[in-house]
Amino acid sequence: MLTKFETKSNRVKGLSFHSKRPWILASLHSGVIQLWDYRMGTLIDRFDEHDGPVRGVHFHATQPLFVSGGDDYKIKVWNYKLHRCLFTLLGHLDYIRTVQFHHESPWIVSSSDDQTIRIWNWQSRTCISVLTGHNHYVMCALFHPKEDLVVSASLDQTVRVWDISALRKKTASPADDILRLSQMNTDFFGGVDAVVKYVLEGHDRGVNWASFHPTLPLLISGADDRQVKIWRMNDTKAWEVDTLRGHMNNVSCVLFHARQDLIVSNSEDKSIRVWDSTKRTALQTFRREQDRFWILASHPEMNLFAAGHDSGMIVFKLERERPAFSVSGDSLYYVKDRFLRFFEYSTQKDTQVIPIRRPGSISLNQGAKTLSFSPTENAVLICSDIDGGSYELYIIPKDSLGRGDTVHESKRGFGGSAVFVARNRFAVLEKSSDQVLVKNLKNEIVKKSALPIATDSIFYAGTGNLLCKTEDKVIIFDLQQRIVLGELQTSFVRYVVWSNDMESIALLSKHAVVLADKKLVHRCTLHETIRIKSGAWDDNGVFIYTTLTHIKYCLPNGDSGIIKTIDVPVYITKIFGNTIFCLDRDGRNRPIIIDSTEYVFKLSLLKKRHDQVMSMIRNSELCGQAMIAYLQQKGFPEVALHFVKDERTRFNLALESGNIEIAVASAKVIDEKDHWYRLGVEALRQGNAGIVEYAYQRTKNFERLSFLYLITGNLDKLSKMMKIAEQKSDVMGQFHNALYLGDVQERVKILENAGHLPLAYITASVHGLQGVAERLAADLGDNVPVLPEGGSASLLMPPNPILSGGDWPLLRVTKGIFEGGLDSAGRGVQEEYEDAADADWGEDLDIVDVVNMHNGDVSVALEGEDVDEQNDEGGWDYEDLELPPDVDTPKTATSARSSMFVAPPAGLPVSQIWVQKSSLAAEHAAAGNFDTTMRLLNRQLGIRNFAPLKTLFTDLHMGSHTYLLGFSSAPVISVAIERGWSESASPNVRGPPALAFNFSQLEDKLKAGYKATTAGKFTEALRLFLGILHTIPLIVVESRREVDEVKELITIAKEYVLGSMMELKRREMKDNPVREQELAAYFTHCNLQVPHLRLALLSALTVCYKAGNLNTAANFARRLLETNPTNENQTRTARRVLQAAERNMTDASELNYDFRNPFVVCGATYAPIYRGQKKVSCPYCGSHFVPSQEGQLCAVCDLALIGSDASGLLCSPSQVR
Amino acid sequence: MIDLTMATPDLLFGLRNNFFLGAYQAAINNSDIPNLSEEESVERDSLVYRSYIALGSYQLVINEIDSAAATALQAVKLLALYLSSPENKEATIASLQEYLSDPAYGNNPIVRIIAGIVFMHEKDYVEALKHTNIGGTMELHALNVQILIKMHRSDYAEKQLRIMQQIDEDHTLTQLANAWLNLAVGGSKIQEASLIFQDFSEKYQMTSLILNGKAVCCMHMEKFDEAESLLLEALNKANSLCSFHLLLIDDAKDPETLANLVVCSLHLGKQSSRYLSQLKLSHPEHVLVKRASAAEESFDRAVQTLA
Repeated sequence: MLTKFETKSNRVKGLSFHSKRPWILASLHSGVIQLWDYRMGTLIDRFDEHDGPVRGVHFHATQPLFVSGGDDYKIKVWNYKLHRCLFTLLGHLDYIRTVQFHHESPWIVSSSDDQTIRIWNWQSRTCISVLTGHNHYVMCALFHPKEDLVVSASLDQTVRVWDISALRKKTASPADDILRLSQMNTDFFGGVDAVVKYVLEGHDRGVNWASFHPTLPLLISGADDRQVKIWRMNDTKAWEVDTLRGHMNNVSCVLFHARQDLIVSNSEDKSIRVWDSTKRTALQTFRREQDRFWILASHPEMNLFAAGHDSGMIVFKLERERPAFSVSGDSLYYVKDRFLRFFEYSTQKDTQVIPIRRPGSISLNQGAKTLSFSPTENAVLICSDIDGGSYELYIIPKDSLGRGDTVHESKRGFGGSAVFVARNRFAVLEKSSDQVLVKNLKNEIVKKSALPIATDSIFYAGTGNLLCKTEDKVIIFDLQQRIVLGELQTSFVRYVVWSNDMESIALLSKHAVVLADKKLVHRCTLHETIRIKSGAWDDNGVFIYTTLTHIKYCLPNGDSGIIKTIDVPVYITKIFGNTIFCLDRDGRNRPIIIDSTEYVFKLSLLKKRHDQVMSMIRNSELCGQAMIAYLQQKGFPEVALHFVKDERTRFNLALESGNIEIAVASAKVIDEKDHWYRLGVEALRQGNAGIVEYAYQRTKNFERLSFLYLITGNLDKLSKMMKIAEQKSDVMGQFHNALYLGDVQERVKILENAGHLPLAYITASVHGLQGVAERLAADLGDNVPVLPEGGSASLLMPPNPILSGGDWPLLRVTKGIFEGGLDSAGRGVQEEYEDAADADWGEDLDIVDVVNMHNGDVSVALEGEDVDEQNDEGGWDYEDLELPPDVDTPKTATSARSSMFVAPPAGLPVSQIWVQKSSLAAEHAAAGNFDTTMRLLNRQLGIRNFAPLKTLFTDLHMGSHTYLLGFSSAPVISVAIERGWSESASPNVRGPPALAFNFSQLEDKLKAGYKATTAGKFTEALRLFLGILHTIPLIVVESRREVDEVKELITIAKEYVLGSMMELKRREMKDNPVREQELAAYFTHCNLQVPHLRLALLSALTVCYKAGNLNTAANFARRLLETNPTNENQTRTARRVLQAAERNMTDASELNYDFRNPFVVCGATYAPIYRGQKKVSCPYCGSHFVPSQEGQLCAVCDLALIGSDASGLLCSPSQVR
Repeated sequence: MIDLTMATPDLLFGLRNNFFLGAYQAAINNSDIPNLSEEESVERDSLVYRSYIALGSYQLVINEIDSAAATALQAVKLLALYLSSPENKEATIASLQEYLSDPAYGNNPIVRIIAGIVFMHEKDYVEALKHTNIGGTMELHALNVQILIKMHRSDYAEKQLRIMQQIDEDHTLTQLANAWLNLAVGGSKIQEASLIFQDFSEKYQMTSLILNGKAVCCMHMEKFDEAESLLLEALNKANSLCSFHLLLIDDAKDPETLANLVVCSLHLGKQSSRYLSQLKLSHPEHVLVKRASAAEESFDRAVQTLA
């Protein structure tokens, strides 16, 4: 039983849940009815009008009403919105035991100690039926939730079921009601509208409670005989099905669970019992020490119950409703019913993975409590309370996703909680001894570790670490080092949520969220009045959590707010931007779209990402007093300024952020003295004298204005001020201005005019205005004041301004941070684009260079050093040593050790295995066995000249091993790389070596070669195609089809090599036109790609035409046209040549070229070998040569001896099989 | 032997771990640990000096360890001498033999480790095993695994690993040795090795050793692109470390990273010569450099025999 809420009060006799709101009514023995909010735990209202105990109370399903009945014989109907009793129904003649609203008709049923049951119409406020028959107190009467039935229980030891369908018919028209008033009495005796259907006898003491099953034709009753009886009924009869024994005293109330096969009963024996309604066995008992139970109520929609007892009531639920789940990357594993299920966020696909052990329904709350998942091993650890805390470990077979019906074997064990701490390790808490057992996936104990504190439960805290929780603190404990990495005082943590990057942690307790970093350094604490249910981190570091009623956020600095209200509790599993994925209590995954604007905005402010702030201000409707207050409070008045339309607020914000322009604009609109004044103060602070002046002028604050002119040295304006003062006959102002100006005569004049003659005289005389002084002395006569003597007095004269007018250097105001943020972003993008284009271009050019550099540089680099070789051969030397170790030192303790030890003989290096297994040249080269490689190549391809292959050999050899740094300062381990790795390859079976050259690289080279040819860079092309020819002997491919491709590649490369060589030769032959023409002509007979052929033809055509060999040229032109050239120029040239040749079909010079006769070109002499003539060929590349070349090195491939014997290219293991 | 149920915190854990995973600078920087017993402080000192050796600061070690220091440290000094002056290695080995034959010192695990390392360099694996095979510390077992792998006897190496796993399966050295062996036997085990290095990278600070380990696994799974980026990361790390500690650039640049980069570039068809020449300059004795020159020589010889 999970207690959700508890009250302390007088004895509770009646209870009723509100169907929508988290409210419960409790009627007390003292006569008070309390209305509680059980979520918040607050008393909302109390209704105190009954006299004596109130035993029955009930909420109306839809209206803001409830009904109560008490020992004052009164039934009262209340409106809780109006906080008052609407009316009272009188009629019962004794205590009222229960009252209940009908679910749709405007009826109330009540039961009373006057042995009657009454049905009332609360709209007409009349009693519409009195059900008589019981001959003792009627303890309870309830409507059937669907049908027109009433069940009642009485101390006469019977339960009765009443049929009230007649009543419904009667009240079909409301007008009847009034009519029926007069009929009441007849009904009273006739009883036609409510008849007893069944009388259930079986209890042998008074029955206290009876109620219907919400869906099935079942009844349940509880009586003073301490028994609970289940009854079944059909259309004609009702009979006793079974009796539940167990209560030790009078059973006071009993209910069916609406959604599960459960019965809940309570009794004066101070216990609540839960029974299995199908097996009819007791499942659980909850006892209280002192209090007898009197009443039960169930929530109409949720799995909540309430029970009233001698000193209050409790709201509880029977089972935990939180689904156990674990998030891993894009997937969620969770338990629903008896299946482990899998949910993929990206596709929102939900699949059943495997069935898990069904918790035997011996007891409640045995379902999965927590779930821990190890993605790499696909293992799931499910913890539950079975057997006082135990876990089950399931390894999910990889292919079982989607179809899983057979129960999988699980490994089990006991322990408070269990959680994965590494890929293949999990920790199990052993509470009794305060230690954790670290186990492997075979459920074997690998390690035991004592915990530093008495731990209640453990959570994951990064690989190898555990978060241990006690009542008042949590610690992070490193299992390997056995040290505490972090500690935080926080009580009753229930759940722990790590951020994706494992940098932040949220600790959730019932009413608080604590955020901390990975070392448990406290960041902030949030307190909630409503229970906290779940939470998750979004990618920006905002923690989003749910309470029973809300989805809320918490920023890293502790600011929090509500995102959304929810109607049912949900458990957040993961957050993707604006979408929150959660599980509800029925185990359904659902995405909730939220408006993240507010917290993203606040977060941006917090992180000072002003560009983002700016764009959010521009693009979204984000305002309101709360936001402005927030911004102001957080010190961002300048941002708030962007939201506000109201001039006064704007003015205030502008002043606060120091934005004087906006402040001036607002002040003009407002135009109030006070605002001008404040504007002046701020402007003065910033040093903006112009604005200060303006502000003072607007407020006509002459004194301040004068002083301003004084301090800014604006003497003109100051004297103007004096004149204004004079006009206004403001003597004091005039005097001040004169003083500021240092205008003594004026001062004297003012004093004189004001009648202060002595002062005027003194002023005049000290300032040396003798004439005036004398005149005044004359006026004063005897009263000439005496000037004080002594002291070193000096005259008060204002200094002359060095600089006058204008503003002072202005204070820097922070308003600018938002300006230009967007613009610069736009510019950035453009630049990037340009860069990208640039890079692309560069890369194009590079392709050839890379290849070029590659081989060249390696050979240069290799020409450095000569280190004596000590390669793999070494492994063999030890074999026959077999160590007679005692030879060395028979005397010491060390040798005693070594004498018993015989070192194993060294094994076969992998490279040796390669050599033994393979007859492919490349694999021998990789193994470093160059002489066998060469012998193989010689035998297979007749290769004799290995010099061009040197770098290839060494590259293959160097690329065959990787280097693994093992033990510090010890020599590295070199590990052989094998080809064709796959996940399922079995270990210890050696594969062939991975080779540094592969076929696809050659294809790239071929493309580059074509490109060079098109561009006419024949040196380049020659190098590339030769490179291909040189690499092919060391290529290994897998399939036979690829072997054919390799062979084809040899032919292509050979043709291009020959062609390029001839073309290069031709270019050297400018002084020998005949030979030049011949070479050009032969070139056209190489097997080229069509575009290249066209170019070759065009070049031959040009050469011949220029040399006057029109006939030959015409032949080339015809051939060119036959290829249907796409290039217009080529076509035109060919046609023109053809026309010219038709006029004059002659050749100026004789060429060794007969295009009608098929021929091949000798690779060395570049002479045509016509069909039928003797020729020899290269065993590798297949180039043809005149017989005299036999025994020479092939001029085309530069590798093989012409005419030598060879078995043919062997480049694939498939050829050997 | 290592006490499994020991509940007191292991004060040297962090230091050892740093050392085993190649975070030598971190090991040196965090070596100031209070409340060490005498035995532990000797171990601490030996780890610190060995870290210096791993960083190439041989002279510092030779100068700082005087004749009064503990035996274990004397052995460490010998290692520094051996590595710093290959020309005098006979003398060094002779003094090492002296220690080993003295029953008072010969059983010291650190002396034995040093002996194992030195004889491994001498390619005298049998002699190395003679001193290390008994085991007794995780380090010795791990060294055994490595020697046996070098001898291409993964069957024996596996037996050693089993022993380590029985002692402490989650020990860093057990995991490392497991990864070495997995790579040596290849096939599906490579993935396990990769997972081990992945675990390390999640758990501890990234070191060149871990990055190289990951990269080597990638290469064995023929994911050369991935390997290259890991290796470049390791190279950058080494470079930044150099500038930070003002060490000789070439010394600190991790030779294995360079060697693996050469291999990786070869397979990617990229230019590898720069890395190779860098490696030749900084570590002329590296296996890859030797392999390259040996290859050339054997090529020339083979051409001659064929001619």
